[in-house]
Amino acid sequence: MIALHALEERLLAHLRKGAGFPREWCAQGLVDSDLGLSIYANAYHSRLREALEADHAQLAAYLGDALWAEFCAGYIEAHPSRVRSLRHFGVQVPAWLGTHAPFTEHPEIAELALFERELLDVFDAADDRRIDWAAMQALDVAAWPSVRLGFHPSVCLLPTQTNAVEIWRALKETQPPPAVSPSATPARLLWRDAERVSRFRPVDADELLALQEMVSAQQDFAAMCARLAGVKPASEVPALAIGFLRQWFDEGIISHLEIASEHAPAQRYAQRD
Amino acid sequence: MIERAGIARRSTPEVRASGVRPWHGYGLGLRSEHFDAVLDEHPAVDWFEIISENFMVAGGKPRHYLDQVRSRYPLAMHGVSLSIGSTDPLDLDYLRELKQLARHVEPIWISDHLCWTGNGGINSHDLLPLPYTGEAIAHVVARLQQVQEFLGREILIENVSTYVGFANAEMDEAAFLGEIARRSGCRILLDVNNIYVSSRNHGFDADAYVAALPAERIWQIHLAGHSDYGHYVIDTHDHPVREEVWDLYARTLERIGAVTTMIERDDHLPPLAELVAELDHARRIGNQVAQSAPAVCA
Repeated sequence: MIALHALEERLLAHLRKGAGFPREWCAQGLVDSDLGLSIYANAYHSRLREALEADHAQLAAYLGDALWAEFCAGYIEAHPSRVRSLRHFGVQVPAWLGTHAPFTEHPEIAELALFERELLDVFDAADDRRIDWAAMQALDVAAWPSVRLGFHPSVCLLPTQTNAVEIWRALKETQPPPAVSPSATPARLLWRDAERVSRFRPVDADELLALQEMVSAQQDFAAMCARLAGVKPASEVPALAIGFLRQWFDEGIISHLEIASEHAPAQRYAQRD
Repeated sequence: MIERAGIARRSTPEVRASGVRPWHGYGLGLRSEHFDAVLDEHPAVDWFEIISENFMVAGGKPRHYLDQVRSRYPLAMHGVSLSIGSTDPLDLDYLRELKQLARHVEPIWISDHLCWTGNGGINSHDLLPLPYTGEAIAHVVARLQQVQEFLGREILIENVSTYVGFANAEMDEAAFLGEIARRSGCRILLDVNNIYVSSRNHGFDADAYVAALPAERIWQIHLAGHSDYGHYVIDTHDHPVREEVWDLYARTLERIGAVTTMIERDDHLPPLAELVAELDHARRIGNQVAQSAPAVCA
């Protein structure tokens, strides 16, 4: 009597490791059991490799066949899927590449993988409305310092150390990738626009500070200005800060406004879809 | 309770299927490569089948197109993650999301596979075979009842193609599937291509397989292409439906009456018009058989 649990456990182990399923547990059909088991085992590995390649097409191109195969074998062995959808199978790819030789010797590799994963997240992030600059203008100026911005769920701020994004772009256009170099800007901003197209652009050091306050720390406009005042002359901060706000609204990445009041609960403003 | 199949002679699939088995006509699998063509060309397809998991995402293009297509066509939800035969606990988070999606889509029905996909928390992402034993029947029936109670509806379970059989089998696959359908109350999504593939790999009679099933429980048919390697066959979904599968489809309809039918294509996707033309072939077979075949009536 072969218990169902034991059969499943042994068969899955066989698919993963290529051995261990007792042949006497197999019935002899027209197809030899070794061949039948190998069909399942091959499908297991090829399906996971295809999922990685679908999500990391430019990483695969950058690594080349030999390194890509080495990466796939290592990752699939280290991280058997515990997720429901193959869409999330590669979620640990950037971390794995950042901790396993020889990939660790090339920091642009993990960064390229992280950029591709962030693009996937941008693609199917939650929907939300987008509000325009008129909503900000409609506020009493006295309320501006306490304004907090609710960014669209697809917005992602990605710090960059290398030119991995330029490498990604060249490969995407089937051009030779540029030589590795430090990133020209400290971060990238990624989002999905109102037409559901994924976008990204460089972020300079000043805007990075502003976004870190407003996106990452969820601080108010006054805190953002104070942060900018730490690196810019005070006279330049208002125009710089308002310029950032205006750009974010124009890019359609603001979904909500919140105004904290000492005397009333925070109010939420949302204008248009 | 085992329903009894009556015999009648009627003129159209719609009328003939109006007994115990609902009729939704001829459908296609909805694939992202065809989203725009479906909306722009509004093809003559009666309904589309979605892979449920592809739309269990927060937003973006998948959900946008889902809503657009749903506003024009009926949809069926076909899943690959239920893992009804696994000895792992049922994934209640998955079921909650499935139910939520069903509330949104209002599908004609929900289906998944008679298989297991993972064990010990590890997902193979494949449709793996079960041993045809009483133990497996009891296990699957109990879980199906739990799933159906949770979803508040009976679901359809599909026969998968298999490449390995197990020595401890106590019955053949058709008896296994039929018994599970009878005891759990689920319906059957009969994949005619999978029957053909498995019959070639294991050496059983495909027509006898169909004859052994409770016909009134077969609510949907899948058709697909396969790859024939001579001494074995693999269910690849990357070719048009092959002649031998069309023949088995026609004989199946002759035996059990009209059944809502769809074509699955997952790789080497041709332009949508090609799939619509292939679906028209299924429609022609259905209409020809409708002139003479018995119908399943309540």
